[in-house]
Amino acid sequence: MSAAVTFTTVTCRYGRRTAVDAVDLDVAAGEHVALTGANGSGKTTLLRAALGLHPTAAGTVTVGGESARSGVEWARRRRDVAWVPQRLAPGRFPLLVDELLDSGGHPDAARAAAGQLDVGGLGRRPLHTLSGGQLQRVFLARALGAVTAGARALFADEPTAALDFDGQEQVATLLAKLPVTVVVVSHDRAMTRACDRVAEMAAGKLRVI
Amino acid sequence: MDGFLDLLSLPAVQRSAIGLLIAAVGLPIVGVFIIGLDIIAVRFAMMHVALLGIAVGLLAGLDPMLCGLAACALAGAGVAPLARRPTGLPGAMGLLMTFAIAAALLVLSVSGVNATGAFELLWGSILATREIDLIVLGALTVVVHVLFWRWRRQLALLLFDRELALCSGVAAGPLLLALLVVVAVAIGASIRLTGALLVDALTILPALGARNLGRSLRSMVLWAVVLGVVGNTAGFAVALLIDQPPGPVLVLVAGTLTLLTYLIPEGARDAIDPGSRTDRGGDPVAAGQRVWQH
Repeated sequence: MSAAVTFTTVTCRYGRRTAVDAVDLDVAAGEHVALTGANGSGKTTLLRAALGLHPTAAGTVTVGGESARSGVEWARRRRDVAWVPQRLAPGRFPLLVDELLDSGGHPDAARAAAGQLDVGGLGRRPLHTLSGGQLQRVFLARALGAVTAGARALFADEPTAALDFDGQEQVATLLAKLPVTVVVVSHDRAMTRACDRVAEMAAGKLRVI
Repeated sequence: MDGFLDLLSLPAVQRSAIGLLIAAVGLPIVGVFIIGLDIIAVRFAMMHVALLGIAVGLLAGLDPMLCGLAACALAGAGVAPLARRPTGLPGAMGLLMTFAIAAALLVLSVSGVNATGAFELLWGSILATREIDLIVLGALTVVVHVLFWRWRRQLALLLFDRELALCSGVAAGPLLLALLVVVAVAIGASIRLTGALLVDALTILPALGARNLGRSLRSMVLWAVVLGVVGNTAGFAVALLIDQPPGPVLVLVAGTLTLLTYLIPEGARDAIDPGSRTDRGGDPVAAGQRVWQH
C-alpha cells in the first residue's frame, strides 16, 4: 500500500541561512518523483526534514495525510517511509551487513533484495570493508526490506551516486517497479527517466519540470 | 612460589582477585560503550564530577560517595541531549571536567573541607576491596550485561549511526540516556573501588584491543571481556609474583595486550573471527527469492 506525500510551505534553515524556502510539493500515492538540482539547493535537507532528521522552521510534511510532531508520531513516520541516506555513515563502529539488512524490519526481504543487487554474499562483512557501490546496494536492499515490512513510501537520496552505469540502470529499473510512493534525489538520467515526474530545486525553492 | 601462594591465601588478596575478575567481566563492556560514543575523556570528567558530588555531600551532611555517584548519573543524563550534535559528546566531556572541578573546589572552600581529604574519598585501591565493593561491582556488572544483551541490536545501530538507528525504529534518545548514565555511574564507582589508574586498564584498554579484533559490536564485547579477564588475571598474578603494587603492573600488562592486538594483520583478524566463515559461502539467499521482479 502506498501513501501520498505532501510538503506544505516547508522551510528549513541552517542558522540564519535558509536551505529550503517554503517548498510545496504534492506526490500522489504510488507516484514516483525525481528531485534534481544543483549541489546545496536543499534537496537532501527537504527529505531529512520529512523524516524528522532536520528541524523545520515552518510548514509540514504529511505521509498518508498524517503529520508528525511527537516522538511517537515521528517513530511511525520512520516506519512508514523507507530511507536510503545520501551520506552513508562511515561508522566509528563495526556494523555487519546482516545487521544493517535486519534493521529495515524485514530481514528475509532485505536479504533477498541484497541477492538481487549482487551483494547477497556479504552478510558477515563489516560495512567499513565494503566499496562505496557495495555499501549503496546494501542500503538499497535494506530499504526494499523496509518496503516489504510495510513502509508506504521510499525516500532515496542519490541512491545510484556510487554505482557504475549498469548498476544505475539496474537500480532505476528496480525502483520503478516498487509499488509505493517514491521521492528520489538524483542526478542520474536513468533514474529521472524512470520516474513519473521531475521536480527541480534551486536555492531552496522548487519548480516542477 | 610459596610466597605467591601465601599471598593468595590472604582474605584481602582473595577479595581483590574476585573484584578484578568481576570487574573484568563487566567493565570492558563499559569501555566498548565509551569508545563507541567517542568519550574517552569520560574518566577524567566523571572523576571531577564525582568530586563535586562529594563536596556537595560534605556540605549538606549527606553520604559523600552516594552524592558523588548521583552527580555522575545526573551529569551522564545531562550531556545526553548534546549527542544530537556531531561532536557534542567529546566536547561535553571537556566542559564537564573543567566546570565540575571549578564548582567542586568552590563548594569545598565554602564547606571548609580540605580538597585533598575529599579526593581521598575518591581514591580507591584494589587491595583495599571490601565485601560491599564486591557487591557494588557485581551489581554494576549485571546492569551492564543486561543493558548490552537485552538491547545489543539497537546499541549496534546507535553506536554506528544515530540517524540510522532512529530510522530503524530504535528509541535512540532513551537508549543513549541509559547508556550515558550507566557509563557515568560505572566510571564513578570504579574509581572509588579500584583507583583512577586501574579504571583505564579495566575499561578502555580491553575495548581498544577488542576494536582491533572484533568485526561487530557483539564480537567486540566478547573480545573485550576475554582481554579484560586475561589482562587482569595475568597482571594481578605478576604483581603478586614480583611483589609490586597491582595497579601499575595491571595497566602495563593490559597495555601490552592491547599493543599486541595492533600487530595482528587484517587477514589474521578475519581468520580468528568465527563469523567470517559464512562469508565465503556465497549468497545465502535462495536465488529464486526475488521480491521486486513482478
